[in-house]
Amino acid sequence: MELQAMYVQILALVIFAIGLIVAVSRRNVFFVLMGVELALNAVNLSFVGFAKTLPADLSAAGQIVPLFTIAVAAAEACVGLAMVIMIFRNRESVDADTFTNLKG
Amino acid sequence: MTNLPLWFIPLFPLIGCIVLGAIALISSGEKKGPSEGFVGALSVLFPALAFVSVVLLSFNMPEGGIRSTLCNWIDIPMFKVDIGFLFDGLSRIMLLFVTGIGTLIALYSNGYMHGDRGFARFFAYINLFLFSMIVLVLSDSLLLTFLGWEGVGLCSYLLIGFWNHDINNCKAANKAFIVNRVGDIGFLLGMLVLCTLGGSNILNYDALNAFINMIMGAGNVEIVVPILSIAGLCFFIGCTGKSAQIPLLTWLPDAMAGPTPVSALIHAATMVTSGVYLLARLSTMFVQIPLILDIITWVGLLTAFWAAVAGLFQNDIKKVLAYSTISQLGYMFMAAGVAAFDASIFHVFTHAFFKAALFLGAGAVIHSLAGEQDMRKMGGLLKKTPVTACVMIFAFLAIIGFPGFAGFWSKDLILERLYMSGPMGPFFYAAGLLTAVITAVYMGRLIVLTFFGSYRGSKESEEHIHEAPACMLFPMVVLAFGAIFAGYFWADSMGIKFFEESLAPVVGAAQAVLHHSEAHVSAGVFAGLGTLAALLGMGIAWAKYGKARIPAAKGSSAPQGKMATWTFFWDYVHGVVITVVNAIAWVVDNCVDKLVQFAQWLVGGIAEILGDGAASFQVRKVRLQIALSIAGVAALVIVVLLTGGLI
Amino acid sequence: MLALIYFIILAVVAVGSAICVLLSKHPLYGALSLVVSMLSLAGIYGLLGSPFIGVVQVMVYAGAIMMLLTFVIMVLNAAKDSKTPMFDKVSLFVIPAALVLAGLVGFVLVRSGIAFDATTLRGSVKFTSETLFNLSQTGPGYFVLFEVIGLLLLSAMGAAVLMAKKRLGTDNEEEK
Repeated sequence: MELQAMYVQILALVIFAIGLIVAVSRRNVFFVLMGVELALNAVNLSFVGFAKTLPADLSAAGQIVPLFTIAVAAAEACVGLAMVIMIFRNRESVDADTFTNLKG
Repeated sequence: MTNLPLWFIPLFPLIGCIVLGAIALISSGEKKGPSEGFVGALSVLFPALAFVSVVLLSFNMPEGGIRSTLCNWIDIPMFKVDIGFLFDGLSRIMLLFVTGIGTLIALYSNGYMHGDRGFARFFAYINLFLFSMIVLVLSDSLLLTFLGWEGVGLCSYLLIGFWNHDINNCKAANKAFIVNRVGDIGFLLGMLVLCTLGGSNILNYDALNAFINMIMGAGNVEIVVPILSIAGLCFFIGCTGKSAQIPLLTWLPDAMAGPTPVSALIHAATMVTSGVYLLARLSTMFVQIPLILDIITWVGLLTAFWAAVAGLFQNDIKKVLAYSTISQLGYMFMAAGVAAFDASIFHVFTHAFFKAALFLGAGAVIHSLAGEQDMRKMGGLLKKTPVTACVMIFAFLAIIGFPGFAGFWSKDLILERLYMSGPMGPFFYAAGLLTAVITAVYMGRLIVLTFFGSYRGSKESEEHIHEAPACMLFPMVVLAFGAIFAGYFWADSMGIKFFEESLAPVVGAAQAVLHHSEAHVSAGVFAGLGTLAALLGMGIAWAKYGKARIPAAKGSSAPQGKMATWTFFWDYVHGVVITVVNAIAWVVDNCVDKLVQFAQWLVGGIAEILGDGAASFQVRKVRLQIALSIAGVAALVIVVLLTGGLI
Repeated sequence: MLALIYFIILAVVAVGSAICVLLSKHPLYGALSLVVSMLSLAGIYGLLGSPFIGVVQVMVYAGAIMMLLTFVIMVLNAAKDSKTPMFDKVSLFVIPAALVLAGLVGFVLVRSGIAFDATTLRGSVKFTSETLFNLSQTGPGYFVLFEVIGLLLLSAMGAAVLMAKKRLGTDNEEEK
């Protein structure tokens, strides 16, 4: 028994599914953010896992792009938390279902 | 000093323009303008430096000319243009008189514009004009020439409308600018047509000539000549705009609204001849398309004749000169049309001297009469302003082709070439000779009305008549000497062919393509007939205007009645064309545009209805929407799996 | 064999702490569970031969981002949403949908038959820096991307400052 590439992908899939469920089903806005981070992590793992299945000269992209993903995630968390602070200041609530400013 | 860089020549006027423009801008807010002495010195210095550079370069010019590429301008696939300069026999002659006369006229303007509030602004424009004109003449590619071409058009606009507090001046400036744009579109289209012909570098003159020689040598005449003809026609339209030929000539008489030195420099000596320059520059191309050359000859002929007759009817001294300029340009185009490019450039050269002298003389007359331009109110100025009168009379003798004066040699040469140009030659010659007679008549009328007889203005204005200051007289005298002696650069019957030889490397090969039979008439006969025409015209003018009482001027100086019909014929034609275009525009505005609007409204309405319908389906909960989209993705995956799309 | 054992341990920790995120009541507990999950993922990166990504994961994700999140949770202090139910009717719909999706994708994955390649490059610091900054070798693409990411972070910072600072106008205009 050796470590298979498939296992990594299955793990990524499971974590992605959990992240998605957290992001969509929980109503607390912090959990929404955390679910998104979890899903992003799963995607990174999938990238690296696939990169390891490619020959030498092709495996660079799969190992560089996660770095950028992490940087983008940092920006996203930064802006997202600022938005949470702003909304919380206006609404005194962290329930995502109460944020209905755009309701038509 | 053999390796004086070519870009020095346009650099000096550019610096002058920037410096003077800065002075004009800085002083624009002040009550008192900048010191006129300082500004005047600067304004003469920079053109003079350019002139000195040209002279230095001229003496050291090798036979084939100097080429220098400054930098790359446009470099894209299929199309490559460098900013480069070409200094050869043709551009040498053009540059010599452009910068030389430019310097003289800058000096003259110091006197003429004395006390004007826009003193520095005026000279900034003049320097900008010289820069553009030098770029036009000196460039080695059509595109850079076009840059200069547009630049001189802009300066022409700025200077015609220089006294912009008068609405008529602004209208004249607009007219000049817009009519010129029509011609410029021809120029642009010509360049585009050439680009379609092939060769990424084709806008370069050397490359173009090589290309045409190569094509003609290979015998692909049937394919290329139609395209070349279209290109030639487009360029010719550009030339008619800039050089005031039929049909785009109406702007030049109106352009006399500008200050007189401007008329002398731009609208007589230099800018309007750039069309002739372009024809000579593209001579290799034009000799391959005889059809276009015929058109050029006919247009030149009609323009020369029409403008000469229109010149008879004018009362405004500057308008007479304007029509005479158009007429002389017609001569140059006739010469170019029969592939006598060297003769046409020679006429450009001599014309620059005597027409500038005439304009400067007219300016001095206007100056001494405190702005009066109507010839019916002048007269007897010979005694009051003798120097001006002598200059004007010398220039007059030059323009009518009196033997020994500059115009005699050049006009005679053109007529001779016309005669030898083939079966239509004698007709062209006769028409040219007739035009020469008319020229002598209207110029004689100008001289007689202005300088002879007795003064017809009011008594008190007679007191103030004075000779122009020295800084105005000096350029006039120099130009008068030019008007007398410039012709001896190519005195054919005396065997002096300096001018022809210096132009031969540029246009000689082209002219050899259309070889005309040598005339069986000796040169003496041509000279005799030309002299006769001049004397006949002078005689008519003296007989008709010398003794007759001139009716007192009343109303405006514009011609009336049938004379007006003749004078403004092409304005009417333009009016008709504009009316037709307006009608088409009206139709487009009221029919086509409405259709488009209806289509817009239809599309918008449909989109609005659809959007409203779609909006009513919206679930107003973000999380539920995301959940739905996840379910949608799941459904898609199921579909793909079931249909076996991926695996 | 040893790698597989390590992988199974790390995977179990990662999935377990992810489920803890899903089920925890207070966001702070959720955040801490998320940190554990990320740390174990970092271990998996190391196991896979990309230690640099693992280090960045620890520093940026588990360190910076989660610290920021925890900080905000503690600052706002109203995060304990006792009134908000953990799951509702929408959740009942979401969880089966996500599970079905995951199951389908897993099905496809299992049938695809991917395998590790022996020649693949180790994602070390040297390798990463050469790929990013050695323009003559890999071309300017990654480097431009790198610069753009810098701009993105700068603008995100500006946006966050602008949004989180006190509103200039009145606050409670649109209440309810």
